[in-house]
Amino acid sequence: MTTIKLVLIFSGLLFFLTSFAYSQMKHTINGYVRDAENGEELIGVTVYVNELKTGTASNVYGFYALNLAPGDYTLTYRSVGYLTVVKTITLDKDQEFNIELPIQITQMEEIIIKEEAIDANVTDIKMSRNEINVKQVKRLPALFGEPDIIKTIQMLPGVSSAGEGTSAFFVRGGSADQNLILIDEAPIYDPSHLFGLFSVFNADVIKETELYKGGIPARFGGRLSSILEVRTKDGNNKDREGGGGIGTLASRFTLQGPIRKDKSSFIVSGRRSYVDLFLKAAGEENTVYFYDVNAKVNWKHNNNNRFFAALYLGRDVFDFDNTFGFDWGNATATFRWNHLFNDRLFSNTSLIASNFDYKLELDDDTQGFKWASNIQQLTFKEDLNYFVSPTNEINFGYHLSYQNFSPGTIEPNSDKSLFTTVELQKEYALDHNIYVEHQRKLNNKLTVLYGARLSFFQSVGPAAVYLYEDVTDNINIERTDTLSFNRFEEVESYLNLEPRFSARYMLNPRSSLKLSFNRMVQNTHLISSGTVPIPFNTWAPSSLYLEPQIADQTAIGYFRNFDNNQYEFSMEAYYKDIDNVTDFADNAEIFFNEDLVTEYRQGDSWSYGLELMLQKNEGRFTGFTSYTWSKTERKIPEVNLGQPFLANYDRRHNFNIVATYELSDKWTLGGNFTYTTGRPITLPNGKYEFENYQVDFITERNGFKLPDYHRLDLSATLTPRKNEGRKWKSSWVFSIYNAYSRKNAFTIYTRTLENDEGVEDPNRKEARLIYLFPILPSVTYNIKF
Amino acid sequence: MKNILKVLLVFLVVSSCEETIVIDSGQADPVVIVEGLITDQNEFHYVRVTRTVDFYDTVATEPITDALVFVQDSRSNFRGYSHNPSGSPDLNGYYISNEQFAGHVGVEYTVSVTVGDEVYTGKDLLNPVTAIDSLSVDIDEDEFEDPEDEGYFYEVLFYAKEPQDRKDFYLFKFYRNDSLLRDESTDIYFSDDDLLAEEINGVPTAGYYTIGDMAKVEMYSISRNGFLYYNDLTNLLLGDGGFFGSPPVNPRTNITNGGLGFFQTSSVVTDEILITGD
Repeated sequence: MTTIKLVLIFSGLLFFLTSFAYSQMKHTINGYVRDAENGEELIGVTVYVNELKTGTASNVYGFYALNLAPGDYTLTYRSVGYLTVVKTITLDKDQEFNIELPIQITQMEEIIIKEEAIDANVTDIKMSRNEINVKQVKRLPALFGEPDIIKTIQMLPGVSSAGEGTSAFFVRGGSADQNLILIDEAPIYDPSHLFGLFSVFNADVIKETELYKGGIPARFGGRLSSILEVRTKDGNNKDREGGGGIGTLASRFTLQGPIRKDKSSFIVSGRRSYVDLFLKAAGEENTVYFYDVNAKVNWKHNNNNRFFAALYLGRDVFDFDNTFGFDWGNATATFRWNHLFNDRLFSNTSLIASNFDYKLELDDDTQGFKWASNIQQLTFKEDLNYFVSPTNEINFGYHLSYQNFSPGTIEPNSDKSLFTTVELQKEYALDHNIYVEHQRKLNNKLTVLYGARLSFFQSVGPAAVYLYEDVTDNINIERTDTLSFNRFEEVESYLNLEPRFSARYMLNPRSSLKLSFNRMVQNTHLISSGTVPIPFNTWAPSSLYLEPQIADQTAIGYFRNFDNNQYEFSMEAYYKDIDNVTDFADNAEIFFNEDLVTEYRQGDSWSYGLELMLQKNEGRFTGFTSYTWSKTERKIPEVNLGQPFLANYDRRHNFNIVATYELSDKWTLGGNFTYTTGRPITLPNGKYEFENYQVDFITERNGFKLPDYHRLDLSATLTPRKNEGRKWKSSWVFSIYNAYSRKNAFTIYTRTLENDEGVEDPNRKEARLIYLFPILPSVTYNIKF
Repeated sequence: MKNILKVLLVFLVVSSCEETIVIDSGQADPVVIVEGLITDQNEFHYVRVTRTVDFYDTVATEPITDALVFVQDSRSNFRGYSHNPSGSPDLNGYYISNEQFAGHVGVEYTVSVTVGDEVYTGKDLLNPVTAIDSLSVDIDEDEFEDPEDEGYFYEVLFYAKEPQDRKDFYLFKFYRNDSLLRDESTDIYFSDDDLLAEEINGVPTAGYYTIGDMAKVEMYSISRNGFLYYNDLTNLLLGDGGFFGSPPVNPRTNITNGGLGFFQTSSVVTDEILITGD
């Protein structure tokens, strides 16, 4: 009932906002922008009305609409990597105008830019946002030859990593769990394969990847620091197409094509690692592998109704000697319906299911057990875009999620096992969100975007909530009472308004100033006290003992294009303040703890930084270089004696270069270079003996720094000339990871001093630095037919 | 369930390299460490008093030889302790009770250690312990096929009944011919009973034995504070520097006034078995 009321209020608000737009008789031109070769919808294509010096851009579903006074217009459609298409139209009635953009084939000679290139970097209102060019990622050097968008994301300004071999990334002073990672709108709770060596994203199926670090649109919520939105391909709707790749560690295969030409298409892709096959061949009993499956179908009922169904399944499986094993994985399903209510009101309705689970199992007569945990989410989303006029656009919607947290069950797996069955209490939550956002071009210089998201989060039953004498006392835990709640009965609720604001002011046609503010609220909390989450961490909803985490971020930026828009430069400064950041008591037991709530310690976190980026998207030489200066601190009750400390992922300087160069039509070279300050680490300032254990004496959290991190990777892609008679195309990617074999610190631990024979000195200790990868060459063979 | 982190570390070690690095460990103000144990056995009990040393010091710890040490219990008994009565240099920092006595279940003991002007106390409640039903000997097949030490492939299995109606915490010590046995020098064998069923049927103890060895198992009751101390100590000894696991931090102690260490009171049960190979 509440929901219906909210929608009504909302509609009223919308009417109020848009009523002024009906003052003049106008017509609408709308349609989809597609790739001419495979029919994929293109996101973010600028549609410019030359006569009015204004325009719009295709939305995330490839749809655009312009509401204009009758007349003759010249429309220019532009997107990076595609030829610009210019169309003239006479607008005397509402029109549907779908357009296809041909791919730009880079010539041997540097492209001569005849007309203006895209200046969206300067003119668009969006800031603190990066698109990841997956075509480029595929030609960049990759660890074990497996192209991975997350590894490129970790090199963007404002983003850092905890070191190599991890899929965790940290955005503007936020921890890894503060990133909302979406694949076709479905949340991924753990994006790692093999504990982070690779991410779950198979580069072959990615259509578009965008990272939002600030100025986050109101349609997104639920995490504090960033949104990583990955959209997969819809499938070629013109021709059947296959392709694949054989890498050092994994192989992948993709098939796509029309089901009914131009009406419906499919794509299915699989990837599997095969180290275990080598291990088996070498007589090893151990099994380690991962796989991913992406599948999607879409069909166009008519231009007003389009349907999509997408599926992702991924899993990691480890098994040691057939006795101990564990596995984890994500499964997501998305069903979407794109509908045009009228020529200017675009609707996307999504039904999303997401599941993440892990299992550990020890097969043993006396100590055998099985441990399983999962988190599930069901989401309904209604997102609407209302294209009032080229200078006036409204987005609004309603999201509802039901979450089911199952933190763990341990059961014996043999009659003789010493274990008994224990199940931690499940938790349930309902998350309602409504949002509205209005973008308005006030004049030729100033565009503003303002809006808000209202989140109403309910922790609901069934639940038995313990009351404690002192809920922060994790030593002498004293439960005083138990409150029982029925199914869907509210345990606790939190209402939060999240204002969002952005503005862009053109200083001159080549440069602009931008400003944004966003408040983000996070009601899903990761239970991890390390730097990098592991798949065995669980999640918990905001409830009686866990308040919503709230982040306020302000960012200002200067954007300038050089050399006919070939080079895009940006400089951004931000300040982010987080209240109730979820952390844990010193020595917290975060695994399988029935009184986990006694370990929660919510505190403050603040971060500020300056980010510079220079990017070149077109031509033979493309890539970016970024530099970030930042500082992130935390203050958590009782932790580090209540004193502020540097966050685990704090890095003062962070410098990156990512580049590819088309040497000839056969060879493309690629390179990555990164240099960052070492991250903070807690090391001992002394030691002592207890019984005969040599124990570190700790005086300060994160009082030390790991050595600086730097690494150079190189790659060369060979695309042999196509034989006339041959239908397939192939390429080789040669990579060298860590070209000068730097021993980059992964972590440092201490142990009793050992001599070369491994004999311990009971009186002395030493520190050991772990590093992962020395120089690692790899080859990947890709084929397309 | 700390196994997760161990497995992660194993995984890391498999896929990684490591080397010794010198860390710029500073000079922290030394802190007093108190280590003490009172059991329900009628014997002399000890309290060890030391100070932290620099990380790269060539001694493990610095004994404090001039402390004033005594224990009082909730039944108003007073026990005096004297520093190193035997005079053996290895036992510097050890304070031995002036007389033999046995601790009692349900009694709370408080140690008091005065170093200079500073007084450190520690309190622990002596809990009952479950009986060991029996021990048995079995051949470990993996070890038999590929023994780390020639002839050492017998394992000792442990049987007991875990009382399901009360909260128990256990600490184990294993001995091979009276010398302490651990798989790794950082291993501590302890458990709570949260996940334990009643029947403990042949759980392997640490290490491997050969024919003629005498295997001994000591089972200690510990308090929840003791359990937390050993739990925190394990995390610290096996920590990965805060990468996947939590950052290193000093264990929660029952020693007051900024001291570290733990004062423990325990009931102890012992069982022995001779490895015959039959």
